[in-house]
Amino acid sequence: MKSYEILLPGITVLPIIGVVVLLIWRKATKKQAATIGILCEAFALIIPIILLAALRREGSILFTLPWIPNMQISFSLELSWLSLIFLLTEVLVTLTAMIYSLGETTGEKYSNYYYALLLLFSLGMSGTTLADDVFLFYIFWELMLIASVLLILIWGHGEIRFKVALKYFIVTHLGSLMVLVSLITLYVNFGTASLSALILQASTLPVNMQVFLILFFIIGFSVKMAIFPLHIWLPDAHTVAPMPVTIILAAAMLSMGTYGILRFPFALFPLESIQPFALWMMLAGLISEVYGALIALAEKDIKRIIAYSSVSQMGYILFGLGTLTARGMQGSILHVVYHAIVKALLFMVVGIVISMTGERDIRKISGLGSKFPILCVCAAIGVLGISGMPPLGIFNSEWLIFGGGFDSGVSIVLTVMTLIGSLLTVVYALRFFGLIFIGEPKPEALPVKTTRALIIPTVAVAVFLIVEGLAPAPLMSWAIRGLTSIFGSFQ
Amino acid sequence: MSGLFIAVLPVSILIGGAFLIYLVSRFFQLSNRFESLLTVLVLIGTLVALIFLYNQIPDLAGRPDAFFGLSTPGGILWKPNALGVFILIIATVIGILISVFSGEYLSRDPRYLVYYPLVLLTLAGLMSMFLSNDLFNLFLLTEMTTIAASSLIAFQYQHENAIKASFKYLIMSSLGTMIMLLGIYFVYRSTGEMHLDRVLASPDNFTRIGAACFLMGFSLKAGVVPLHTWVPDVYGNAPSAVSGLLAGVLSKSMLFIVPVICLRLGMTRVELGTYLMVFACFNMLVGSIRMLKQHLLRRFLSFSSIAQTGYLMFGLGIGFYYNLDQGLSAGLYLFLVIAVMKCLAFLSAGIFQFYSGSQDIESLRGAGNRMPITAFCFSVALAGLAGIPLLAGFTGKWMIFSASLAAGDLFSVICLGIFMVSTLIGLAGYLPILVKQYQPPTKAGIFLNPAERAPRVSRWMLAPVTLLAILVLFIGIFPAPWINLVEQVMGWMLI
Repeated sequence: MKSYEILLPGITVLPIIGVVVLLIWRKATKKQAATIGILCEAFALIIPIILLAALRREGSILFTLPWIPNMQISFSLELSWLSLIFLLTEVLVTLTAMIYSLGETTGEKYSNYYYALLLLFSLGMSGTTLADDVFLFYIFWELMLIASVLLILIWGHGEIRFKVALKYFIVTHLGSLMVLVSLITLYVNFGTASLSALILQASTLPVNMQVFLILFFIIGFSVKMAIFPLHIWLPDAHTVAPMPVTIILAAAMLSMGTYGILRFPFALFPLESIQPFALWMMLAGLISEVYGALIALAEKDIKRIIAYSSVSQMGYILFGLGTLTARGMQGSILHVVYHAIVKALLFMVVGIVISMTGERDIRKISGLGSKFPILCVCAAIGVLGISGMPPLGIFNSEWLIFGGGFDSGVSIVLTVMTLIGSLLTVVYALRFFGLIFIGEPKPEALPVKTTRALIIPTVAVAVFLIVEGLAPAPLMSWAIRGLTSIFGSFQ
Repeated sequence: MSGLFIAVLPVSILIGGAFLIYLVSRFFQLSNRFESLLTVLVLIGTLVALIFLYNQIPDLAGRPDAFFGLSTPGGILWKPNALGVFILIIATVIGILISVFSGEYLSRDPRYLVYYPLVLLTLAGLMSMFLSNDLFNLFLLTEMTTIAASSLIAFQYQHENAIKASFKYLIMSSLGTMIMLLGIYFVYRSTGEMHLDRVLASPDNFTRIGAACFLMGFSLKAGVVPLHTWVPDVYGNAPSAVSGLLAGVLSKSMLFIVPVICLRLGMTRVELGTYLMVFACFNMLVGSIRMLKQHLLRRFLSFSSIAQTGYLMFGLGIGFYYNLDQGLSAGLYLFLVIAVMKCLAFLSAGIFQFYSGSQDIESLRGAGNRMPITAFCFSVALAGLAGIPLLAGFTGKWMIFSASLAAGDLFSVICLGIFMVSTLIGLAGYLPILVKQYQPPTKAGIFLNPAERAPRVSRWMLAPVTLLAILVLFIGIFPAPWINLVEQVMGWMLI
């Protein structure tokens, strides 16, 4: 084992240490608990960056420990270019949410448990991206779900949270079960749980079996992506969850579904087997895009507007994956990252608006722009970003996704419709911005200044969005390397 | 040491201990706690004897003197096997924990004197059932277990329901043993033998009818749908500790005697497997669907127990139907983890009832604040039963999935579909109850008044519950040694 390989499990072990410390240290104030959480998360961010040089040299880094030898299950993690992108996105989002929590009231009660659960949530996601063993993958996949359910249960808004959390759990678990069936079918057929071993062999399965597995994988992961009509858990969960948790849910957890689709059906099976699903994925993406945007246009609750915009944005990603072209998939991966940043920014803005006005009904809020110029600028950046305005990030990814759509063999009508559908995004985004920030200031009694602890991370995310949009080159090259490692050198 | 002595030792300790404890406690007017400690001592002795026996089994197998009474016709025939001893070790460990638990649980009952001997006798009956190798002894010992268990079920005779439940159990169980007696008649008529190893040599249609009778009798005792009607009444009204023993070990272990006997009496593996899988589906569906509408906590747990009997049968059924070792080991592993989790669930439910005086699920509200440790342990049990990863139940679920997907034909996939539906409904049943503990109380109850001091849960009850919860976590995170153990003993199910 090479020396740097030992660093890899650090990404999963550090949060566990943090969790243990937080569970023992019950008297920790919110600041102390946050410090521990942020420190662990920051280290988890530094490790992949340290490993970057080795990754460039090796192509992928693997760490393996035997766990249940008589069932051929091991504790193995793999860092590849693909997982790197998702890992960094997820850790950065969690870090942002942790810092944002400091300015919020969330987590003042039981702060040690709050930060412990945030760490576990993040651990679930980073484990999901790293796991190279299907058993381990599923454990992390469920950990992600359980931690988020608990966060909603304990710190969510209103009595309704119990029902919402239950619905969220059961609907998402249904998707997980479909994934589980496919994982175990693979495990049973080849007698190994190691994903890298499965990738080498899976294409030898009979074609019927392949089709069945791809179907189950795609539907299972689409539940997590909240593709219409599997999105029913999303709006409620996003609305009821406290704002930092909503940020992680929307910006990071949704993208795990994308990762799953890339990592399992796409990496395991030859493209010919996936081809029959291409049209359906594009179609589902289109419907999801339009549906999410239309509902967002009709919603009055500002948190729900942004929540439905997630359904719409995930539609683009599925569309890009469905094109099965290099450009489309690269666009999807980029879209995951940009969407994470934009969505985090928008939810942070919404959080500030709610905390200042105490209102969530869009009809009761207006004209905040003149009073809070910084917030207004951040919101404008977010709104323009989500509408796909150059040079903000989403322009790049949408360009690639639509390019992929035209490249694919499927009729261009579909792509043109998606392009036209994207206009709806502009409409709801501008409605959101216009109603809240322009016009007569409402409600009357408003605090003079925004909380500094909330506005600073928001500004930072806005700046980061502009930077990422202007310099997409490293991200693009990572995405290409990730795709090359899956598909070989295809264009 | 002679093989005979080793084979008889555990049961002798139990039965001797049962009478001795009663006499000593009566004579010296011992307190409840003291008697519970004595019981624990006896059970620890039994455990040591069992472990010793387990290690001796490879030696005993080749030696005829392990057969107690082989030389005399109609004598008592005993033959220890690794599977039986493994199950008995689990039963004894659970027995130790519930004895400690009863040290506080029975403190309000003046008749504790007979309680512990009855627990010991129940265990002794179970133990002899697994060790005996002839049909007539099996019948007698089954009856003994039934009688001891039904007096335990009626132990809280102040409650009318307890008497009713016990009566129901007694009637139905006697029906089961009666059918078994009929089976013995068929076997004896055809072969003139009761000795299982000798019957094995000449199975014919009569012995097959006998096998069917035994299958039915044991199905009744295991609570297989549609013979499950006694289960909710019994587990819901017996003392919690007894419910833990019955639901965790006693009734489910009957499923492991079934193959040993039926296969020897000439039933084929495919027949047995078909029976187990078909009825497993009924169990899974009935258990999980009826679980949803329960208002009483222990009744809820009883229905979930019916569903789990189904999971066990499903695993075993795959094992027999398709000749897959994975299925058998899944069934046996599930037995181990369900014993631990179910006992934990019933004991925690017992603590709630002990301090709140109510079995109502609504009265769980606020328990998370007032009894944090118990509530946490109960949550571990529920989450484990729901099959949440990293708890013991998940590995079992994974094994069931992989066994049925390895079989891979339509029958097993349909059953797997039903299994998935059942686990999903199960989630919808377990989670609201888990959550309820952490919700603020709304109705009147002991947990309502925040000014009132929270009840301090006795250490006698907390210790076994905590231990079991740790075990659930431990088995979940390190399943490898347990799976090894299970794979070692599972071969004994196939004659």
